[in-house]
Amino acid sequence: MRILLIEDDQSLADGIATALRHTGYAVDRAETGAAGISLAQAARPDVIILDLGLPDMDGVDVLKQLRRKSISSSVLILTARDDLPSKIGGLDAGADDYLTKPFAVDELLARLRALERRAGLGLSAEIQVGDVSINLASHEVTRAGESIKLSRREFTLLRALAERPGHILSREQLEDKLYSWGEEVASNTVDVHIHNLRKKIYPEFIQTIRGVGYKLGPAK
Amino acid sequence: MKSIRIFLLIALLSTITLVNFLSALHGYRASMAEAQRLFDRQLAATARLLVDMPVPDEPPLVVAQAEPLVLQVWSAEGEMLLRSADAPLQPISEFESGYREVNFSGYRWRSVTEFFPASSRWVIVAERADLRYQLAEKVILESVMPILLGLPVAGLLIWLLIGWGLSSLRQLAEALQDKRAEDLSPLPLQDPPEELEPVVKSTNALLARLRASFERERRFSADAAHELRTPIAAIQVHAHNLDSELRQYKLAQTPESLGKLQGSIERMAHLVEQMLDLFRTTPEHYPARFETLDLQLLAREALAEQYGAFAAKNQTVELTGTRSSVRGDRFALMILLKNLLNNACKYTPDAGRIEVSTTSADGGTTLRVEDSGPGIPAAEYDRIFERFYRVGGDRHATTAEGCGLGLSIVRHIAQLHRAQVRLGQSRFGHGLAVEVEFPQETAAEGGAGGHHG
Repeated sequence: MRILLIEDDQSLADGIATALRHTGYAVDRAETGAAGISLAQAARPDVIILDLGLPDMDGVDVLKQLRRKSISSSVLILTARDDLPSKIGGLDAGADDYLTKPFAVDELLARLRALERRAGLGLSAEIQVGDVSINLASHEVTRAGESIKLSRREFTLLRALAERPGHILSREQLEDKLYSWGEEVASNTVDVHIHNLRKKIYPEFIQTIRGVGYKLGPAK
Repeated sequence: MKSIRIFLLIALLSTITLVNFLSALHGYRASMAEAQRLFDRQLAATARLLVDMPVPDEPPLVVAQAEPLVLQVWSAEGEMLLRSADAPLQPISEFESGYREVNFSGYRWRSVTEFFPASSRWVIVAERADLRYQLAEKVILESVMPILLGLPVAGLLIWLLIGWGLSSLRQLAEALQDKRAEDLSPLPLQDPPEELEPVVKSTNALLARLRASFERERRFSADAAHELRTPIAAIQVHAHNLDSELRQYKLAQTPESLGKLQGSIERMAHLVEQMLDLFRTTPEHYPARFETLDLQLLAREALAEQYGAFAAKNQTVELTGTRSSVRGDRFALMILLKNLLNNACKYTPDAGRIEVSTTSADGGTTLRVEDSGPGIPAAEYDRIFERFYRVGGDRHATTAEGCGLGLSIVRHIAQLHRAQVRLGQSRFGHGLAVEVEFPQETAAEGGAGGHHG
């Protein structure tokens, strides 16, 4: 996957570029908004990591220009601004994700993998949780090589939970994922699907955090 | 000078007394001079009456004279012709006309000596001087008496009038006293008296300067903390890269120093974030956007976000209670929840329990975070809200890493929502329970300083 890093802080940009190359990504770098836009047009990156506080223009304006020039790369905003208006502004302008500084490199990499999957790119189209592997492209789920048949909704829930392993998703968030299929959801739909997933994979695969939500359990 | 009121009272009463005394003295002198003239004239008249008294052949004639007067009539040749019974046998004064003061019979006398050429006689009349003074004293006393009796009344009136006159000073003192330490708004004194105006003006100017400098300091701190985010992010990334580069060398074990370095970076990052949160949640300056929110949903979101930390310590976390609406600022409430959860996680041992609950009642909405940690002694409840204060100092019993700003931030955000923060024992027997009680929706509208920024 090819990543364009638009970040004016030399030291941070060096560090991120190194970390991304270690992970196996190809990295282009720009220190200004203008340079970033021309590089984005020239290199056609899969993902753009964009700082908001650039010396020549605001990151949000860079993003707007990119979208106007129909550059459809996924954009992850990486900024020190953590206030809600900035977040909303960034996402409204067409960013796919928003991460605030300081951040854990693993978190950045996890988010990049999620963007990669969403774009249906590369090897990351398969998520491995212990001995369970989930192929996002073919919607195939296998446990220790054995295929598991899941309904479309069950797969949607599993995918949502697997995309950010270790994170809890609340019932509302899971309902939202089902809604996005444009269907009516009964009040206990999520519970029913979770029950089925546990039965089909194994009971501890999905954990309930009382009052909070669900997460994928410890890998077997 | 301990009290302006007492000082003025004493000064005014003394002045009044002094002026009265001086005028009484003057009156005494004037009336004494007048009385002297009157009495002298009376003496002279008595002398004129005496001159034609028939004299017996064998002088002197002794007459009884009851009044404090003594009389002597002498011939031009120096023979005593007449005297009153008390009069001495010698001439009271030398034979020369005029008034004079003389001493005899153990008293002081005022005498008049006059020669009448028609009858060729000297007449001397004397009167006891002390009696005159007694009379004058009586007159004086009578004129001074009302003043003396009036002094307490004057004192009381002065006391009340001064009190009334100083009332605006008292108001100023009360306004200053009522001010909370962090309240730097101008004094509310409307239309102060001329004398207090400079005080009120300069106090307000001082408050304004203080406010401006606090604001500058707060802004600087917030900006500095914000600016530190990028370099800290860079250090974190470099440490991460160092870690993965060292792994490539396939060392027997990861160097210990790297772990320590990463731990320290973590701490520094946390401290900077906490400082930033502390400065930007200052209730007077926080640009709050109040909306109706479900506290239960916010708690769920915060719990989900922080779940990794609880899972790492194998702690059991529960969210109970009901959907509870509050009028609040989403961002600030998330910071509040994050801090309470963070504290609960940090100070609760591995495999401990944490329960978060939200309840709604007529009085408002309550958020409770309870843990099964060691708790905090009640005596420390007030102090732990102080910045950088940590129970037991830096060597905390649970050896948890913290900077001591969490509860200060919580209090800022609670103030912003006019919410009460209470500490107590958790329902797990030991452990801390933090309760944040939000007032009913309408009451929190706008919040403290919510319109600023």
